[in-house]
Amino acid sequence: MSRAANVGGQGVEGMGGFKDIRYAEEALSARSYGAALLAAAQADPRIVCLGADLSQPTETAAFRDALPDRFFMMGIQEANMIGAAGGMARSGDIPFCHSFCVFVTRRVYDQVAMQAAYPKLPVKIVGFIPGLATELGVSHQAIDDLSLMRSLPNMAVIEPSGPEQVGAAVAEALAYDGPVYLRLAINWTKGEAMTPLQPFKLGKGLALREGGDVAILAIGGMVAEALAAADLLAARGVSATVVNMASLKPLDAGLVRDLAGRHRLLVTAENHSIIGGLGSAVSEVLADAGAGIRLARIGVQDEFAEGGTTAYLLDKYGLSAPHIAERVAAALRDV
Amino acid sequence: MTRTNKPLEDLTAQARRLRAHVVRMVASLRVGYLLQGLGAADIFAALYFDELNLDPADPAWPERDRFILSTAHNTALLYATFAERGLIAVEALDTYTRDGSPLEVNASERMGPIVEATCGSLGQGLSVALGMALSLRRRGSAARVYVVLGDGELQEGQVWEAALSAGSHGLDNLCLIIDRNYLQVEGHTDKVVAMDPIDAKFAAFGWAASLIDGNDLGQIIGALDQARRVRGRPSAIIAQTRPGAGVPFLEGQMAHVAFISQEDAARALAHLEPAA
Repeated sequence: MSRAANVGGQGVEGMGGFKDIRYAEEALSARSYGAALLAAAQADPRIVCLGADLSQPTETAAFRDALPDRFFMMGIQEANMIGAAGGMARSGDIPFCHSFCVFVTRRVYDQVAMQAAYPKLPVKIVGFIPGLATELGVSHQAIDDLSLMRSLPNMAVIEPSGPEQVGAAVAEALAYDGPVYLRLAINWTKGEAMTPLQPFKLGKGLALREGGDVAILAIGGMVAEALAAADLLAARGVSATVVNMASLKPLDAGLVRDLAGRHRLLVTAENHSIIGGLGSAVSEVLADAGAGIRLARIGVQDEFAEGGTTAYLLDKYGLSAPHIAERVAAALRDV
Repeated sequence: MTRTNKPLEDLTAQARRLRAHVVRMVASLRVGYLLQGLGAADIFAALYFDELNLDPADPAWPERDRFILSTAHNTALLYATFAERGLIAVEALDTYTRDGSPLEVNASERMGPIVEATCGSLGQGLSVALGMALSLRRRGSAARVYVVLGDGELQEGQVWEAALSAGSHGLDNLCLIIDRNYLQVEGHTDKVVAMDPIDAKFAAFGWAASLIDGNDLGQIIGALDQARRVRGRPSAIIAQTRPGAGVPFLEGQMAHVAFISQEDAARALAHLEPAA
């Protein structure tokens, strides 16, 4: 079947597609994005790396130095980078495009739609600085990128929880024969060597903790906040399930329905607007299923923020573990 | 498959056949992209019947030359060219823009590899062509990449990102043809955004730029020949075309979308297809 036959299809249908996908074992077990990409590229000569002036913060400097003939520094030209990636993918390459989340989504949305999503090309779009996580301020804070990318047919959307899951996320991004948006945190610092590796499968959530009262479905860095909130809740006698929903699209709808059936309350937690991201995706599944369960959406409450440290911002905008625990306790009193 | 080096009179006859299809296709709808289709017919005849290295039996042949129409609405001409070149059936032209037909107003990859990229959202085609040229060069392929942009399209900022980038990368396997017909929806391009000198702009961005009469097949062939000989720089051919070219009573009319009556279509066809 020609690639064009995929055009106008029914969107992300699940897994795989690249029959001859190649990536080294080191990619799967890497605890940094840059190491995972380089290992995969060393195993698969189709992989090329495109940058927009940010090799160091997007962890692609090692690729640049090791595989210079497959590294393309496009300059501060994100729209041109996405268009060029579409041309490369149509010529048999698997391009990985890098910048900050805001600049590879909102800034280049039409280019992504026409030159990656519509033709269902294996263009992998990798953004850094998710949500409220930087002193750089509102220009660099991606609060709508998940919403934008999730709306595009054919696009898979992945936000791994941290270093423990990034290698598996890269492998799955490669295995999906189509465009992927990979949303990554910058400068992961939490004991990378010690964290046990976590699996990742496109279309699958991963339960990290089982409880009976509330299920918290979290994505990206909010998984750690949700786990800390579960500890706080346990001290108050509330038992929480915590699920890592790193695959935003396709979403594990079966798991959402299952969780709705065995908890009193569902909570979504994302470093993103409550409009259009994980909270919306879970709401859609619940509404479609006619599930009568209450849902609390932790996230940016339809507002622009300001620059600051991550800890400061998560606290100020109601995303930190204590806020999640408070919100859960209050909601449980109402159900 | 190499350049055909067809005699100019053959290409002239070919361009006339393309124009006749364009008139028939637009006349069947009464309105459409008529004038710019007629205006660019000589460029398309030169590209598809002399310059481009293609195999109609194997349109996805990896070593083919690539062609991208960034002004993807000029499709009466594009589809007519496909049909004459054997890439689609001539009868398919009867379905142009009809519900359910893959021959949409803006060409899309629904049509398979003969449409190399889905443009229509103006300003994107040169970036895609640049990516193809980078990819082909990395693989050591001899295939070349050709892209047609409209002059109004040059108002899009992304074009200049790509122009800087292609010059910076020294992509001599990339050939841009600008269809300088002074037409955009709002009217004369110079009344919307003054753009001259275009050739000097591209030269300043590191391109080999030339200015030609885009309705003179000899000049078109000459410019394409010259572009193939350039080393270390991409080529930009600014082709001044006359909307409505080839049909005397339409030449020089200025309308982004033109109406044509059945009577005028018959007059145009009588001119383009004189009885043998």
